Amino acid sequence: MSTPGKPLYRSDKLLYYALLPFAAVVIAAFILLFAVLGYVSAPAIKKYGVRLLTTSQWAPNEANPARSVYGLLAPLFGTLVSSTIAVLLALPVTISVVLVIEEYAPERWREIIGSIIEVMAGLPTIVYGLWGLEVLAPLLQKHIYSPLHQLLGFIPLFSCRPVTGFNLATAGVLLAIMILPYMVAVARDAYRAIPFTYKEAALAIGATRYEYAKIMLGLAKPGIVAAALLGFGRAAGETVAVALVVGNVPLVSGCLFKPAYTISSLIANQFSMAPLYPYMMSVLFTGGLILLAIGMAANTVAVIMIARARKRLG
Amino acid sequence: MADPRIIKEKVFLVTIFVLTAVGVLPVFHVLAEVLVKGSEAIARHGIGILTSTSNGILASLVGSAILSILASLLGIPLAILAGLFVAEFSDTKIAKITRVVSQSLLEVPTVLLGMLVYIIMVVPMGGFSLLAGAVALALVMLPYVMVHVEQAIESVPPMYREAGYSIGMTRAEVLIGVAAGIARRGIATGVLMGFAKAMGETAPLLFTIGAARTTLPCSRPLPLANVLDPGDAVPLMIFQYAQMPQRLYHDMAWAGSLVLVLAFLIVFIAIRLLVKEVKM
Repeated sequence: MSTPGKPLYRSDKLLYYALLPFAAVVIAAFILLFAVLGYVSAPAIKKYGVRLLTTSQWAPNEANPARSVYGLLAPLFGTLVSSTIAVLLALPVTISVVLVIEEYAPERWREIIGSIIEVMAGLPTIVYGLWGLEVLAPLLQKHIYSPLHQLLGFIPLFSCRPVTGFNLATAGVLLAIMILPYMVAVARDAYRAIPFTYKEAALAIGATRYEYAKIMLGLAKPGIVAAALLGFGRAAGETVAVALVVGNVPLVSGCLFKPAYTISSLIANQFSMAPLYPYMMSVLFTGGLILLAIGMAANTVAVIMIARARKRLG
Repeated sequence: MADPRIIKEKVFLVTIFVLTAVGVLPVFHVLAEVLVKGSEAIARHGIGILTSTSNGILASLVGSAILSILASLLGIPLAILAGLFVAEFSDTKIAKITRVVSQSLLEVPTVLLGMLVYIIMVVPMGGFSLLAGAVALALVMLPYVMVHVEQAIESVPPMYREAGYSIGMTRAEVLIGVAAGIARRGIATGVLMGFAKAMGETAPLLFTIGAARTTLPCSRPLPLANVLDPGDAVPLMIFQYAQMPQRLYHDMAWAGSLVLVLAFLIVFIAIRLLVKEVKM
């Protein structure tokens, strides 16, 4: 809160220099993360190059490490597809929850729903994972996947028999549940930023509640897009819960009922073996670098969208 | 015939209420399952499932306690001081960069922080340790606490600061004595949220603490030095036991989940109470 352009007083300078190192540590940790990921990834990128992204083979070669083949195609595919499913499922629910909390629920219920959403956000992810493994996956397999396969098996997405509940679809559903509270928080902030005069104007022209909501959602659109992007980033980075339900098989398939892999679950499962094989660690760090890139890209675009929304609504 | 606009409105309202119910129902199912399966596990194996290191999760509970406290000791002071810097010198370039960095850290997948600590601590130190896990967890909680500290300090009305300056207080005195004092509940909320986060995280511990769960981390004479030993944590135990075929391991995972969820709910209620008092 110092006035720009004015030099600091001596005692104020002291405070500045006393606190500066702590901020510097935060920045240093961030730079270190990029540097370490980049440094450890370099050998794999140099050796395999673009082949890392074009093959799904995961074949460590003990006798001749130089002939090991590692591909990240299937895990990258799994990460992108499961996160996309999660966002597609969570987005309509997010919009509904925001409208209910902000407009249509009775006063007392708003606070209750808000608290429930906060519990959802804070619950340890491993608890979702255990629930997904023991409860959600068998439930979905029996009551959703099997009927879908029987009725709509001609659609490629549902064309394979759901042998177990551990597949891309379950990962997507579990991730949708997990990212919902984050998306609600971001979308709700955007919705609240709509100036009251717009709401009055919409009501004054006699809009029904449906028409009113349509106008308001139009105004909050950049914030809702930001919520979807941040939700996607979260879903892509989620590790242990997904590792428990995705099946952990490096497959690229158009069918959602096939087991799959994600980059983060690959890291979780293979890391402990990686020091034994040259290049494997490096490949896993390349996967980490890709995750970091996805997270940072989602974050950057979301921040720009939110800033744009703020500007537009004044 | 009813007005189609009114019909549309009715369909719309029903849809959003149904979708909201669908959105919040899973968390009740999760909580109910944890409560039922966790209590069943304890009833089946006795209290020993919590208090023993063989066929029990004592080592994980002790490890989690040490990790949460140690991570808080490392992460919270750093987060508060860095947060104060960002809020107080918000128009300087470094503060702006720090703010962007802390917001970006929120979006970094936590598993990457575990990989970072593996390279910068586990490999050089020659082995897994609770300290390495605590450093990874401190990095996880850092941005959460920082964001809350920044918001709390920035929401202090300027007239309180001006009052401080007018009686000749220096900037440091105003920041620590006045602003931080007024914002203390907001800061405490951030601290508790960070603590809850550290308690429940799994991914940063995968490659850092070593999952030593048959012995307690107390092989060394001095209590503090034990943080250099490998250890276990409840979330990591759940992750690994959930993948085992035997019933006993699944029971231990559910019992651990019950403890974890109860601990989280206690912290959550504490946060709610703090926030409520601020409003009054």
